Amino acid sequence: MATTQIIAAALVLLAVARTATAEIPILTLTGAVNGAPVSLTRSALKDLPQHELATSTSVTDGTPVFEGFLMRDLLSEYQSSGETVVAVALNDYQINIPVSGFERFDVIGALYKDGQTLSPRDKGPIWIVYPRDDHGELQDIRYDTRWVWQLVALHVE
Amino acid sequence: MSLRDHSDDRSKWASYAPLLLLLLIFLGALGFALAKSSALERDMRIAATQNMLWVVTQTQMELLVLTLAASSPVGDDAEIARRFDLTLARLNLMSQGPQARYLDDIGHLQSVQGMSDALLTLDPVALGHSPDLHAALSDLGQSLHPQINRIANDVMTTDWDKAATRLDDYRATQQVVIFSVAFALLAALAVSWLLLRNQRKLHLAQLARLRAASLLEQERSTSAMYRDFAAIVSHQMRTPLSLIDSAMHRLSRKGTDVTAQDVAERRVIVADAVGRLTRLVDTVLLLAKLDTDQLQARFAPISMRSAVTSLVGEAQARHPDRELRLSCAEGPLVALGDLHLVGHILDNLLSNAIKYSQAGTPIELRVFAQGQTIACAVTDQGAGIHNQDLPRLFDRYYRGNDGGAGHGTGLGLAVAHELTELLGGRLTVETWAGKGSVFTLWLPVAAQEQEVVHE
Repeated sequence: MATTQIIAAALVLLAVARTATAEIPILTLTGAVNGAPVSLTRSALKDLPQHELATSTSVTDGTPVFEGFLMRDLLSEYQSSGETVVAVALNDYQINIPVSGFERFDVIGALYKDGQTLSPRDKGPIWIVYPRDDHGELQDIRYDTRWVWQLVALHVE
Repeated sequence: MSLRDHSDDRSKWASYAPLLLLLLIFLGALGFALAKSSALERDMRIAATQNMLWVVTQTQMELLVLTLAASSPVGDDAEIARRFDLTLARLNLMSQGPQARYLDDIGHLQSVQGMSDALLTLDPVALGHSPDLHAALSDLGQSLHPQINRIANDVMTTDWDKAATRLDDYRATQQVVIFSVAFALLAALAVSWLLLRNQRKLHLAQLARLRAASLLEQERSTSAMYRDFAAIVSHQMRTPLSLIDSAMHRLSRKGTDVTAQDVAERRVIVADAVGRLTRLVDTVLLLAKLDTDQLQARFAPISMRSAVTSLVGEAQARHPDRELRLSCAEGPLVALGDLHLVGHILDNLLSNAIKYSQAGTPIELRVFAQGQTIACAVTDQGAGIHNQDLPRLFDRYYRGNDGGAGHGTGLGLAVAHELTELLGGRLTVETWAGKGSVFTLWLPVAAQEQEVVHE
């Protein structure tokens, strides 16, 4: 099963992360991407064009400012050719997200919230954030399930 | 007039006032129902996203897995670190934003924050992994379980309470919506009823106005008709009467010198004048009978050959200077009708043909059978009839725009037409400008065995 492999890979990465402090991979790309599996460090993700997005969320108050890379930039950087992304979180939560959503909306993989690095002890290392304040149709519980926090792996199908 | 219009306007507005009020009530009720259901929908959406029970259960589960990992005799540092982070993340989630407010409401925010703090005192990242730390984590996890269980319990009962309240709200809103919609429906019905009633009133008023106007018009036309009738008839009587009068004067002026020829000449004039008077009186009498439905046709088979022969003979006697031609087709030409009325119709057609054509031009009467009808066609070589006169040719008192028409009463053709209809026949006309006209009387063919009435 692909997902078990992803999780295994993520666990290995995390184990590695504990020992090596400098360049710890925080995200694994598998499936229909160029050179899969790809392990990405924080600095690799920061090398992608960075975007800011201020939006309300269903689990916080106010409108925090998120900062990170556009999901579509990440997928095109690694020549993804799938239509669905299986997003996997640290706690094994997983959900299918259609790639078309990343094209239609400026969905970001947030690395920072209000200038603070997102920590795995909160919703880090990566939180998928939708511009829900800019699009009425995103204010729907069916989209809330795609706001994956503690994202550690993406499998493109 | 303007005063009257103003009061009309005011009463119209007054009749629409209850309508406006009902419309407002209708819209108000609908608006209220809409607002209520929209508020309910918003509430349900928030309730669905909050899902506090799921958050607590997740925390409970992460804490349990952390405790298990830390209790394992072969402590897996990476796994313990991961579970530590996840547990802390869930506790953080509980002490943020809407979750924190929820827990504060049920008095558990402090204990969640306390759990976070307690956990952070055993942070493997800060302290480094060791069997002692793992044992301490396991002990802490076990000691926290009763607390998190109690929170889960309280959240569940609170959620159920809220769900029950929400259901109550939902039911109440549903009732309000049903009530509002029913009320709106009633208002709509009332509005429709009022509209219909107003429209009906307007319609009736309009009908009454129209009826009054048409009665007035009828009255006017009747009195105009009698005026015309009296004027025309008296005028038409005056001419023959003055002819008789002048003939008598001449005879009396001559005194004893009167010759037999003088008498014979005057006799022809007087006879002609009397004939005209008789026909006029005949026409007027027929008209009166037609108007009072007193005219009864005595239907019998008529030999048209003999009927037209005597009619043409009489006309020729009256107008010895005119050429009257008669042609009858072969075979029995027996029509069904009233001999007297048919005579009147054809006499009228012949008189008209003579009157409206130049002296020296012949008049022709042809009788022939066509299908189940017998036709009597009277042809003259007069000026023809103007197109604009054709549609009203058979109307009473209609005398056309032609100069020559001034002589007639405007009754002859009308009576002829009405008599034709009474007999179940048809009267048609064809005309050519400057060449003449053909008036044709069409009568039904009589059945063979019926006895023929001769003139």
